[in-house]
Amino acid sequence: MPGEPAKRQKREAYKSSVESEEQQAALPKKKFYRQRAHANPFSDHCLAYPKSPKDMDWASHYPAYAVQHDSAVRTEDESHDAAQVSSRRAISKPVEIADIGCGYGGLLFALAPRFPDTLMLGMEIRISVTEYVQEKVRALRTQNAATNGFQNVSCIRANTMKFLPNFFSKHQLSKIFLCFPDPHFKQRKHKARIVSYTLSSEYAYVLRPGGIVYTITDVEDLHRWMVEHLEKHPSFERIGEEEQEQDECVHIMRSETEEGKKVTRNGGQKFVACFRRVEDPPWP
Amino acid sequence: MALPYSCIEACRLSTNGADEWALIAASGTRLVVQSSSGAYTTWPPASGSAVGDTEAEGPPGKKIKLSDPSENTSNFSCLALTHDQKHIIAVTAEDKCIRVFRIDTEFQLQQLSQRCMTRRPCAIAMTSDDSTILCADKFGDVYSLPLLPGPEDEQIRSPSVEQSEAAGEKAFVPAASVLTVHSGRNRRVLEEQLKQAAKGPKKPKEGPTFKHDLLLGHVSMLTDIAYANVNGRSYIITADRDEHIRVSRGPPQAHIIEGFCYGHESFVSRLCLVGPDRLVSGGGDPDLFVWDWTNFELLGKLHLRDAVLRFLREQPDLAARVPEDANSFRIAVSGIWHVPSEANEILAACEGIPALFSFRIGISSTAEQCIVLTGNALDVTFIRQSQTGCTAVVSVDNVHVRVSTTERREAEATSRLEYFSYRPGGQWEQDAETGRAFERISQSGGHADKEASLMTSTTGSEKALGAILYGIENLRKRPDSDD
Ligand SMILES: C[S@@+](CC[C@H](N)C(=O)[O-])C[C@H]1O[C@@H](n2cnc3c(N)ncnc32)[C@H](O)[C@@H]1O
Repeated sequence: MPGEPAKRQKREAYKSSVESEEQQAALPKKKFYRQRAHANPFSDHCLAYPKSPKDMDWASHYPAYAVQHDSAVRTEDESHDAAQVSSRRAISKPVEIADIGCGYGGLLFALAPRFPDTLMLGMEIRISVTEYVQEKVRALRTQNAATNGFQNVSCIRANTMKFLPNFFSKHQLSKIFLCFPDPHFKQRKHKARIVSYTLSSEYAYVLRPGGIVYTITDVEDLHRWMVEHLEKHPSFERIGEEEQEQDECVHIMRSETEEGKKVTRNGGQKFVACFRRVEDPPWP
Repeated sequence: MALPYSCIEACRLSTNGADEWALIAASGTRLVVQSSSGAYTTWPPASGSAVGDTEAEGPPGKKIKLSDPSENTSNFSCLALTHDQKHIIAVTAEDKCIRVFRIDTEFQLQQLSQRCMTRRPCAIAMTSDDSTILCADKFGDVYSLPLLPGPEDEQIRSPSVEQSEAAGEKAFVPAASVLTVHSGRNRRVLEEQLKQAAKGPKKPKEGPTFKHDLLLGHVSMLTDIAYANVNGRSYIITADRDEHIRVSRGPPQAHIIEGFCYGHESFVSRLCLVGPDRLVSGGGDPDLFVWDWTNFELLGKLHLRDAVLRFLREQPDLAARVPEDANSFRIAVSGIWHVPSEANEILAACEGIPALFSFRIGISSTAEQCIVLTGNALDVTFIRQSQTGCTAVVSVDNVHVRVSTTERREAEATSRLEYFSYRPGGQWEQDAETGRAFERISQSGGHADKEASLMTSTTGSEKALGAILYGIENLRKRPDSDD
C-alpha cells in the first residue's frame, strides 16, 4: 500500500541512507516499515517465488553458508533445458526452521543465537515488514561480524498459504512456527486462516516426521480452531503439556514475539499448542 | 440456430449383443444424445414426453422431488462418464450442481441425483471403481461424493470439521475476548459479534446435507483433477491457477501429499494421463509438459505454441492474427486428450484456435499433425470402431468467427461436430462415414428454444456465451498492485 507522497518520500530517503556504509550497522526504525495490518492471502500480489525449491537462491540469504562452485549447479530437469543456466548458488545446509507470518521478526532474532548452527527463515506477506526484518538481519550481521552472529537467519516475502512448497522440499523442515496469526474473525473468511485441515497437509509435506508445528495466539477461539484442525489431521498429534513446557522454543515464542510482548503488556492470555508430525502410514 | 457443444462424451452400449455408440453433448442448459443407430433424445426431455423418473433415491415413503428438469436454467460446464459407461456425471455451473444421470437402453438420460455444492465445481474425476466422484472446486478444495447418495444422507449429518471449514456453520462463539490485542478493524468486528450475540445466534448457513467429504485443498482455484491407480496405489493429481501440480495419495489417505510436479510458469489448466505413469499438463505456458509424475520428474516439453503459430501463418485468413513479435503470442490450453487406441498419441487444443494438434510423447517434441477445423475447438471425445479404428469427435464453435472468442459469424456454420479417424501410420483424416451416422446431433439447425436468447447478439448474451465456452485465458494473472 503506497503511503502519502511525503511519507513515502521520507521512507525512500531513509531506506537509501540505510544503503550507505556507515549505516550498515544501525538497526532499522520500525516506523518507516509499518503497513496496513491485513493482507489478502487469496490475491495474486506481485510476489516473486521460486519455480521450485531447487530454483531458490539460498546463498543470497545465507552468504556465510554459500558453497562455491566452479560451474553452475545443474539439476536433472535442467538438462532438458540447456538454455536455462541458473545463477543460484547452493548452501551447505538446508533451512530447517520456518517462522510463518513472522511480522517484525522478534522470534527469529531470539532463536538465531540459541540455535547458531540451524538456518531459519521468516516468511511474511507484507512487503515493508519483510524489508524491516531484512534490514535488521543486515545490521545485526554487521554488528556481530566478529562472532559470525545472525548469519543463520533471514526473511523472505511470501504468501505461505499458496507457495510454501515452492520454497521447501519434502520433509525439509524440523520446526514451523505459527505465532499470533491473523484471526480472520469473520466466518466467511475462515479459509483465510493460516491453519486449516487442508493446509495442514502442506505443513506435513514440508515437515520431517518428528518435526513440530508450534502455535500460539491470544484469541481463544482461534486457539480452539487450530487445535481442532491440526488434531483432526492424521499427520499430526498434539504434544502433551509436560513435554511442551520443557521445550525452550515454547518459552521463546511466548516472550520474544512482538505480539507476545504486546499481550503481556495488556495482561492478556496466551494459548499454546504444539503438534508432532507423525510418520506416514504404509499405503493401504 | 443452436448453441455450440461445450462438452462431449462418447459411450459404448451393448444392446442385444451388438455394440452401439452414443454421443452425449452439452449445449447450454441441455444435454443431447444420439446413438449410431439414430436414436435421438434430449435432457430435459422435449415437452410432452415427460419422464417420470425425477425422484431422488431416499428411504421409502420419504421421496424428495427433484426440481423439475424443464426448469433447469443452469448451463452445463463439465461432463464425465463412469468407466462402466452406465452413468454420466454432469456439472451445471450457475447452480453449482453435480448431477448424475443413468444412460438407459433407449439412450434416455434419467437424472438420479442432483447435489448442489457450496462452491462451483471446476472439474470432476471418477475413482477407478466408479464408486466415488471427486469434485475439485473454485475455492481450491477437493470433495469426494458417493456416485449416488445413499439413504443415510436423509439424516441430517452432524457437521464435520471439514464442513464447518467450508460452509462456516459453527455456532456463534465470540472470536475475540476483551483481552485480545486489537487492531481498529478487529475491534469493530468484535463489537458487531457481541451485538449479534446479544440478539441470539445467527442462523448458521445451511451447508449441503448429503455425504461429501473434504479430501484435500489448495489455496488457489483448482482447474483440473485426475485419479490414477498405479501398482495398486491410488493417487489424486490436482492442478491450480498458481502453476502447481500436486500429487496426493488417493482416499483414504488423500491428506498425504506425495509431491509436486514443478515447472510451469503460468497457470495449469489441463491434466492428461497417458498410460499409468505419464502425465501431460498444459495451461498458460507456450509448451505442454510431459512428466514421469510418480517420480515428479519433467521428461520433456511439447512445443504447442510453435505449432499454433505455424498453423495460423499457413491459413490465409488467419495469418494476420500472428503478432509481429511472435513471442508475445499467448496460448491457453483448453484440452489435452489421450487417443485411446494409441500408446503415446495425444491431441491438444487451445482456446480460440480452430485446430487440433497431435503429438507423439517420447518420440518428438514438435507437433506431428495439425487438424484444421471449421471453428474453434471446444471438446473432443473418441469412438472406437472395429472397422475404422479410432475416430475423434470434435466439437467446434459454430457461432464465433475462427480465432475469435467474441466476434460473431455472419452466417452460422452448418455443423457443430467434426469427425476424424486415425489411420495406422499416424495420420488423422476426415471421417465422413461416422459424420453421416451422427448427422442429426452434428447439425447446427434444429432446436432453437430456450437458448435463442443466448444466440441473439447482445452484450449480455455475448458475455454469458463467452463464460460457457471460453474461460481459460481468464486464469492468467494480471499483475495487480495489491500489496
Ligand atoms: C499478527 S501478525 C504476528 C507476527 C509475529 N508472528 C508475532 O507473533 O509477533 C501476523 C502476521 O502474519 C502475516 N501473514 C498473514 N498471512 C500471511 C501469509 N499468507 N503468508 C505470510 N505471512 C502472512 C501478516 O502480514 C502479519 O505480519
